[in-house]
Amino acid sequence: MRTSNIVTRQFDRLPEQSVLILLENMIWPILAVISLLVLAFVPRVFTNTATLQLMLFAAVPLGLIVLAESVCLLSGHFDLSVGAIAGFSAVLTAMILAEWSLVSNPILGVVIVVAVGCVIGATNGIMIATFGVNPFLQTLAFFVIFGGGKLALTTQPISGLPDGYTALGSSPIVAIGVLLASFVFMAVIFRYTHFGQAVYAVGSDKEAARAVGINTERTIILVYTLSGFFCALAGLMLTGYTGLVSPDIADDMVFSAFAAAIIGGISLFGGRGKLLGALGGVLLLSLIETSLNVAGFDPTLIEVVNGIVLLIAILLYNTKANIRDRVLSAGAST
Amino acid sequence: MSSEPPDTTDGRDPAHEPTGKIAVENVQKVFGRIVALENVTLSIRENEILALVGDNGAGKSTLMNVLSGVHEPTSGEIYLDGESVEFDSPESARNRGIETVYQDLALMDDLDVATNIFMGNFPATEIGPFRSIDWDETYERAEAIIETHLKRDIDPHAEVAFHSGGERQLVAIARALAFDPDIVILDEPTSALSVDATALVRETVRNLRDNGKTIIVVSHSLDEIFQLADRVGVLYQGEIVEVASTDSVTKDDLSSLMVSGERS
Repeated sequence: MRTSNIVTRQFDRLPEQSVLILLENMIWPILAVISLLVLAFVPRVFTNTATLQLMLFAAVPLGLIVLAESVCLLSGHFDLSVGAIAGFSAVLTAMILAEWSLVSNPILGVVIVVAVGCVIGATNGIMIATFGVNPFLQTLAFFVIFGGGKLALTTQPISGLPDGYTALGSSPIVAIGVLLASFVFMAVIFRYTHFGQAVYAVGSDKEAARAVGINTERTIILVYTLSGFFCALAGLMLTGYTGLVSPDIADDMVFSAFAAAIIGGISLFGGRGKLLGALGGVLLLSLIETSLNVAGFDPTLIEVVNGIVLLIAILLYNTKANIRDRVLSAGAST
Repeated sequence: MSSEPPDTTDGRDPAHEPTGKIAVENVQKVFGRIVALENVTLSIRENEILALVGDNGAGKSTLMNVLSGVHEPTSGEIYLDGESVEFDSPESARNRGIETVYQDLALMDDLDVATNIFMGNFPATEIGPFRSIDWDETYERAEAIIETHLKRDIDPHAEVAFHSGGERQLVAIARALAFDPDIVILDEPTSALSVDATALVRETVRNLRDNGKTIIVVSHSLDEIFQLADRVGVLYQGEIVEVASTDSVTKDDLSSLMVSGERS
């Protein structure tokens, strides 16, 4: 009988819960609307398979950086250094492989690039979780240090990398597969493991998470290590995509990463959001950029449009937060 | 290496009983130069609600933390079912069947009720070397706890942020019950709650006792003590100065004991 009461109560709150579910998943209707607009005004984006494949291929590095940022955001932490970690990992490994010729084995190159990303990410995590450094300031410092670090390593593009090293990122099918597999794998981890739920718990309320026995310090360090891993993977994919490593590799990607994550429904304050929503955010940004390119817009204007998308994402986030507060206060008072 | 705690009753009401579910014997807790607890001896009977009261700084929170494993006593003994035990962490107390619901509830508002109840303790299925959270089992068990112990229809799928103050307190209690404890310690369970929510929480606590739990309530509210507790222990300047049935003391007695350590 009580079960039926619970069901009745669920129905009582159905309108509010529906609004919340819609708010949490707003990326998909937005993506649908933009897709229809693109179909109406720039149909070549969808009708030309090569364009569509190129769009997804080009989205792979950004997608991995969005994944890195989203993992941090879900735990209630910022990471401003995602682009710098991706760039530095790629440049350092390229120097080791091509300029300094310290290593020639491409598999070892992949191991090195991933290890560099993980070590930098773990250092972020240790500074934040163990030494209590503010995440914004810590990752800002690393943004500057490693952004400048890659320029200190080289001011010229690095070419002559082993084919095996660039193979992962140079094949569109493989690269897109890596992106999708990364998102699906992490979505499963976040949904079905204690660690994944601990990340949500830390993001929602760190003190409460600690009180229920979660090792918050270890969780945060692991989150930043994972973030570093996906940044390095993005660096590897960028290297494969272009076939060389330029000194400005992955510059400014952090802003697009924030835009995609936020518009994809990831909370800026942690504890809320789905990784697959962030993937929707990546698809949206890529679709807009590709459509503007195909429509013949000036590339410099595309940067402006990216900024406008970020602004719209923030405005949508604020609106969503306000509606959510109103819905919740109405629900809590019943 | 268990030993039976000695009887130190004063004749008015047993401050210590060897048959108690949980007991402390001559417990002292010192923080630096501050003596928070001094020779505290107290026994809580199985299946009763005992209220711990005292003025600010009297030592009730420290005693609660000693019982819940947050603080190790500087000296003295803790007995569980007559057996001497040591708690060096909340986990060690939890492993012996003691759960604590803190005043701030430690709830994660963004997560749903069932996730809050089982956070860190999810039912899981083994897939090879991996453990995967069993969400069907999680929601079923959350619903079972809610149906068995809580006198309120709470949807395990709804976010905690959706709920009123009283319901949030119940969710925190449900989380303690997920570990199937014998003893539940409640820290100021009705502070800052409305009249209706207070009544709801008190009804739930009585229901827990009726379902076989031993309850320790830390409170500063005399109303709460008389409406909820079977017995009351009064702390004054780190010492237990009275343990009595709530039928045998008045509010004036308790007020006087809390302020001066003596009955009026």
